Parts: sequence; structure tokens; C-alpha cells
Amino acid sequence: MIDGFIDGLLLILQAKPFFYMLIGIAVGFWIGILPGLGGGATIALMMPFIYKMSAQEALPFLLGMHSVCQTTGDITSVLFGIPGEGTTVATIIDGYPMAQKGEAGRALGAALMSSLIGAVVGAMLLALSIPIVRPLVLALGAPEMFMVIILGLTCISSLSGHGKRGLLLGLLSGGCGLLFSLIGQDLQSGILRFTFGQLYLWHGLSIPPVVIGLFAIPVIIDLIVQGNTIAGDVSYGKLGKGAMEGIIDTFRYLGLTVRCSLIGSFIGILPGLGGGVAQWMAYSHAVQSAKTIKEREGFGKGDVRGVLGPGASNNAKEGGSLIPTVAFGIPGSSGMAILMGAFLIVGLVPGPAMLTKHLALTFSMVWTIVVSNIIVVLVSLLFINKIAKLTTIRSSLLIPFILLLIFLGAYSSNNHYGDLLVVLIFGALGYYMLKLGWPRPPLVLGFILGKIAEDYVYISSLRYGITWLLRPKVIVIFFLAVIVALYPFIQQRRLLRKEKNYEIQP
Amino acid sequence: MKKQSLVLIAVLTVTFIFSTPIKPLAAPFYEGKIVKLIVASDPGGGYDTWGRLFAKHMPKHIPGNPTIIVQNMPGATSIVAANHLYNIAKPDGLTFAAVHRGLPFAQLFKSKGVKFDLKKFLWIGSPLAESNVLMIRTDLPYKTIEDLQKAKTPVILGSAGPASSQTHFPLLLQAFLGINIKMIYYRSSSDIALAIERKEVDGKASTYGSFKAQVQSGLLRPIIRSRVSEPGIENLPVDEELVTDKMGKTLLAMRTGPDVSGRPYIAPPGVPADRIGILRDAFKKTVNDPDFLADTQRLQLEVQYISGERCLEAVTQILEQPEDVVKEFEKYVKF
Repeated sequence: MIDGFIDGLLLILQAKPFFYMLIGIAVGFWIGILPGLGGGATIALMMPFIYKMSAQEALPFLLGMHSVCQTTGDITSVLFGIPGEGTTVATIIDGYPMAQKGEAGRALGAALMSSLIGAVVGAMLLALSIPIVRPLVLALGAPEMFMVIILGLTCISSLSGHGKRGLLLGLLSGGCGLLFSLIGQDLQSGILRFTFGQLYLWHGLSIPPVVIGLFAIPVIIDLIVQGNTIAGDVSYGKLGKGAMEGIIDTFRYLGLTVRCSLIGSFIGILPGLGGGVAQWMAYSHAVQSAKTIKEREGFGKGDVRGVLGPGASNNAKEGGSLIPTVAFGIPGSSGMAILMGAFLIVGLVPGPAMLTKHLALTFSMVWTIVVSNIIVVLVSLLFINKIAKLTTIRSSLLIPFILLLIFLGAYSSNNHYGDLLVVLIFGALGYYMLKLGWPRPPLVLGFILGKIAEDYVYISSLRYGITWLLRPKVIVIFFLAVIVALYPFIQQRRLLRKEKNYEIQP
Repeated sequence: MKKQSLVLIAVLTVTFIFSTPIKPLAAPFYEGKIVKLIVASDPGGGYDTWGRLFAKHMPKHIPGNPTIIVQNMPGATSIVAANHLYNIAKPDGLTFAAVHRGLPFAQLFKSKGVKFDLKKFLWIGSPLAESNVLMIRTDLPYKTIEDLQKAKTPVILGSAGPASSQTHFPLLLQAFLGINIKMIYYRSSSDIALAIERKEVDGKASTYGSFKAQVQSGLLRPIIRSRVSEPGIENLPVDEELVTDKMGKTLLAMRTGPDVSGRPYIAPPGVPADRIGILRDAFKKTVNDPDFLADTQRLQLEVQYISGERCLEAVTQILEQPEDVVKEFEKYVKF
């Protein structure tokens, strides 16, 4: 076991694999920054290059590329309020307001450092859990998966605004998300729902155009209306600093960062949940960490913890999602599905043998995630303060460039003009939601989880009848979900009481 | 004098034009061109894997060695891509596509959105014929088709959806051989694989190739297959031989029709004869190319060249069934 751990590190530190990893990192860096273009599609594009490589060379190349995407995706999210990756949307919620306040450097420092910690924690957990991972994944069947999704949906209560009205709007927004997820051909009966005679809609709405529309278009409209820079009137000199502050923030809230990393790894291990979920659960956990009401209200307006949580979970998830891919040959996300094709090309058959015979190689993948993140974070830190100054570019120069990128990114999901329409429609929706104070994250969460929730509840009832509700693990997760759903109210009451005490004391 | 020199110039010019070697015209059409291969599914699936293999190896066998790029155009089980190819793509030999083999059923049932006639496409060929096999977990007591007929509780089979051949095949077996089964639908093949590991489903019917690993590792046992065979399953009972009902035999034969065309490649109607000839020829040469075969072997894919004519023949056979057969067929097979 320990031998494999060390051998794995030595494998990727050899000249050739290391060199290929560096190339992968360079490619992944840009793919991550470009909105819409995801890590999965990139691996598919890179496949032809690996035929001539050995397994020791191909895996660092592909994995280095894939895991770096998540890290640099945060950069776009923070600087422009535009999701660089489908998995870095939650970083926007607090990261972009920070950029608007002129704290882009700090937000970036925090995002990068938390990414690094997330990658390390995720990889460590992966290394530790290799012996028990198989029974763990097999223990969670369709009913349990459904309950985990419910658990995810309960995060809406933390993602919503404050008070009764905030919660109501959050729930409505989440409900809308669920409805949007129903568009397309139903899996179980083949019935077409809300497709309006359009073949484009048979497949359902893709996540990138929806998310890009919801978040990017309002930002652009805002920039046009204000006609200013993203960072407003903040002086140029002040922007040049801050990265160090963000790094210190990461260690100030180390507990939170590590907890969010653990959330990310756990979600990653479960195959079939997709990459987009972990960030929201981590974000809502970050919100729950608020210690005073004022702090709670500060989330969404530029609290650095809102950047740390999703940043950490995204990269931790990478390690986690390797597990089902490697140990069962069952990919946890679309990127991993394509990676599995690469396994076969280089002559590896995923399965239990990867945890015994090829253990060193499996550990080398863990190390790739860690080492490539260290490299990209170090490199980024060198010029992070320069990147932050992008927020001082006049919006009229910035907008055409951003518009081009987001439409290209959205179009790459189906290569269909429908993608562009979806961006515009959800852009309008996002703009009005923002204007009228409706929270957008619940909508995204409902949209991501809606489809799989339906699948799992259907499979559970068909397979086990009504009895699936009585499975012990289902009941345990259900109670967890209840606690998560009620936590914001408990938190609020506790905080109120505490503050009253403070008022009396002096 | 002036006139003479003019004539001279004219004559010289004309001779010059005609005597210049017509090199630009003799260059192969495909030289320096980019050929688009549309793959009608998401990146990462079986159709995509095959498509990228062809994009890599086929250019060698096309005179002029063009570059082939893969464009994924998923949606509506290939109807989107087929519509695009039929109505929008230029028939200049620079676009061809890999589509779902079940497309003939979409046209047969006049599904919504079908704006193409499969018989008019130019069929290039397929790198293999797919066989359908019903596989059950080895830890269960069902070893033969009789065991499945006698099963007291329904045997639960995972499938990729009601429009999938993974559903059609067992439903027809249920109707004409009386096996006791229940279908559950999953979103992807890997979800089904996991469900089998978790013992959430008892087995599945699918192409043999995609679940060969599970058979070899002893997790699944093949029980019955359709007409198209593959190395390793030749001795399994064949559905059409077991069924006695005449209509049953016809319907089973119809269902297995697309299996012959495995992973079909098509070009839009109207591509000039010489260019489609080049593409078909290159396709055939690619399938026999040792480098290509080495790659497929690494991906554990079986290869067997199926000609374009053979694919078209199979499709035509399905599309020309009498009305009453189609009606009966539609009871079990959806698109």
C-alpha cells in the first residue's frame, strides 16, 4: 500500500510523463478559462494523441488537463461573473461581488489556494479509502441515490435569500429549475415533454447554455448599463495586491475549506450525480458557517468563504470521481466516461485489478491531481495580481470579447443554433430574476438534480415497490436531509438569541 | 504586320494554355480538403469511439489524404443528424455521418421530426455487425431460456430506454417465448453496469461487445442471442429458431435487421459517384488496415467489414414490410 503510494509519485516524476503532464496542464489552463468548453469534451479532442503513448504518459496528460480545468475555471467565474466551467458556477455568487468591490486579487488567491487544498484533501481521502471504496459504492443503490439527491435539493434553503419571503422565492426558483429539467424525451415512457415540435429539445436542455445564460448575460447587461469597469471606481494601485490576503483567508478558514473538500470527495465518489452538484452543497455549507446574522446576510455580496467552499469541493471531487471509474469501470461524470475510453486505448482494464495489481498506477493518478494543481496554482499566483487588473478594463472593450466567448462556449455543447437561443432566453430570465431579487442558484440546483431525481425515484419504485422507503440507509439520509433543510432556521434563531444576549450584556 | 503579330500572340497564348501540364486539375479532389464526420451522439459513447477511429485512420486511404474532423451532433436518437445530412449538408463528398442503427424504425413508424428517406442516403458501410444477447447474472438460478420461462417472479432487466434495442429484443422474447421479465430504464450503459454490480437488476439484453468484459469476468451469463453471431457466442440458442409462431419469427427477423448494419456510415444523397466510390473504398481499406485493427483490439472491439449495399439491403427490407406486420411490430418496438 505505502509502496504503491510512493511508486505512484515516482511514476509521474519521470521526465516523459512529467513533460506530458505539463502539456496537459497548459491546455487545461486555457480550456478552464474559456467559458462553456468543458474538461470532458477536451479529453475527447485529445484522444487521438494518446494512441502512441504508454499508460504512464497518457494518464498524467489527460488527468492533468482535466483537473486543472476546474481550478482555472474559477478565474473566469471570479473576474467576469461568467462560469468558466459548469462546475465553477457557485464561485460566482461571492467571487464576482468581490471583484466588483475591487477585491479580485483576494478572491482569486482564495479560489486558487482552496482549489489546491481541495485537490490534496480529495487525493488523500482517495488514497485512504481505496480498500473500502468498493463496498461503499455498492452499498448505495437507486433508493439511496434518490435520497442523496433530496439531500442536495435541501441545500436550496441555504441558497435562498433571508427570511420567509427569501425562502419562498428560493423554493419557487428551485421548482422552476425542476420544471426546466423535465424538458425533453422522458426516459421511462419515451413521451416528449415540452418539446414544441423541436428536435433540438428532445435531448433536453444542456447545462452550459442554461448556466451561461443565467449568469453571464445579466453581468453583460449590467456592464453595458453602467458603462464602467467591473471593479467600479476602485483605484488601480489597490488591485495589484490582495492575492496574499486570499491565501491567508484560506488558512484562516482552514476547517471550512477541509470540510467542503470532504463534501466534494463524497459527492465525487457517487457515480451518476454529475460534477455540478458538489459546488452547491459546499457553498451552502459555507453559508451555514456564518456566525452572526450580519455575516449570514453578507453571503452573496462578497464573502470570501463563499469562494473557498466551492473552490475546494470542485477539486476534491476530481479525486473522488476517479474511484468509481477506476474500481468499477463505471464513470462518475462525462469527463470520466471519456477518460475510461482512454484507459482502454492504453491497455488498462478498469476494475478491481486497478486497486491491486496496478495500484502504483492508480496512485500516480492521485498524484497527478495533486501535482498538477500545485503547479497551476503556483504559476497563477505569479501573475494573479496582473490578471486581477482585467477588471479595470473599460467595459466597452471587454463586452464584445466576452460575448464572443460565451456564445462560442454555449454553441459547443450541441453545435446547434438552439444553444444560442437558450442562452438568450435564460439570459433574459436571469436578468429579471436578478432585478426582482430572485435567487438563481436554486434554479440551477433544481435543474441539475431534477432529471436524475426522476430516474432514481422511478427505478426505486419499480424495483422495490413501496418498500424502498423503509430501507435503513434511506431513512438515515432522509433525516440528514431534514436537518440540512431546517438548519438555516435553527441557525437564525440561535444567532438572534445570541445577539439579544450581547445587547443585554453591555 | 500588326495583324500578323496579333495572330501570332493569340496562337502562342492558346498553345501555351493547352500545352501547360494541367497539374491543378489532376490533383486528387480530396487534397488539402477537410472532411467532416458527423457523429450523431455525445462524445465518449460507442458511436463516438468508432467515429474517432475512422477520423484517425481513414485519411490514409483517401487519395489526397484530407483531414477528417469529428463533429458530435447528438439529439433525438440520430434524427437530428440524419435530418441535417439529408436537408442541409452539401452533397459534395466532404460530409458523411455515423448514425444510430435503429433509425429505420423511426422512418417505419413515421416518427415526429423525421425529414429524410433512408433508402436515398448513400450507404458507405459498417465496421461490424452487432449481435444482441440476453445476459443474466451468474449468481441467479436462471441458466437457460426454460428457466426464464418458469421464473415465478419477473426477472428484472436493465435497459437504456423504451426506444432501445435493449428493450425491443426482450419484449419480443416475452411475447413469443413467454419469458417472465420486467424492464427498468437507466440513463446510460454504465448506470446499468453499476446496477448489475449492485444486484439492482438481474441482467440485460444488449450488444455482446459492450458487455463482453462482464461475461468474461464471470458476472453475467449469456442465455440467448439473435441471428447475427460473434466469436464466442456461436453456440447460444437463436431466438428465431426457438419461436414457432409465424408472426413471431417475422417480427424477430425484422428487429434484428439493423443489427446487420452495426455502426452504419452514410453520406447525403447526390454525392458524385466518383467521390462516394472513393469514400466506400477508403472505408473498406480502413477496416482491413492493420493499424486500425491494432487500435480496435486495444479497445476490445470486434471488427467485420459490412458493405454499404449490405446495410442498405437490410434497411430496405425493414422499410418494405406489409402494413399488418408493421402494426403488430409497433406493439413491441418503439422509437
